[in-house]
Amino acid sequence: MLELLVLLVCGSILVSGFLAVLLDNLMAAVISAGLASLFAAVSYVLLAAPDVAMAEAAIGSGLATLIFLYTIRKTNGGKE
Amino acid sequence: MADTLLQIAAVLIFFSIVFGVLRLIIGKTAVDRVVAIDMLTVVSISMIALYAHVSGRFLYLDVALVYGLLSFLAVLAIARFLEKGP
Repeated sequence: MLELLVLLVCGSILVSGFLAVLLDNLMAAVISAGLASLFAAVSYVLLAAPDVAMAEAAIGSGLATLIFLYTIRKTNGGKE
Repeated sequence: MADTLLQIAAVLIFFSIVFGVLRLIIGKTAVDRVVAIDMLTVVSISMIALYAHVSGRFLYLDVALVYGLLSFLAVLAIARFLEKGP
């Protein structure tokens, strides 16, 4: 039962990583990258590393998304 | 009784992640994706809590607590960005 959930989390990391690379809309790509680090934090918990998961939840999912959004606003959404 | 409830919770978490990721893949606007990632955050917090109970290590509940405190920040920033426009 639990192995199926672990496999689902790993597959979701893969899918959201592909979406972050392939999507044309920058906003959606940033959201997909945030989702990849969210599921990475869950998989760290499942692999018995709760301190790494806490750092990933604070930095990867919170701070990195904020910095990406700030960059998109500063660079006018990637348009010329 | 408790085992049955835990298995039902695991099945519900499984289908919530499946449908949330499907919404993220086929989401037409950015708002759909924001709602999907907000729902997936809540689902992953409940998944961490379930795993803390199943494995018997209650240190993992701290991770769920930190996650619940910090996870609204990204969604709040994205919503503010969408309201103001790029």
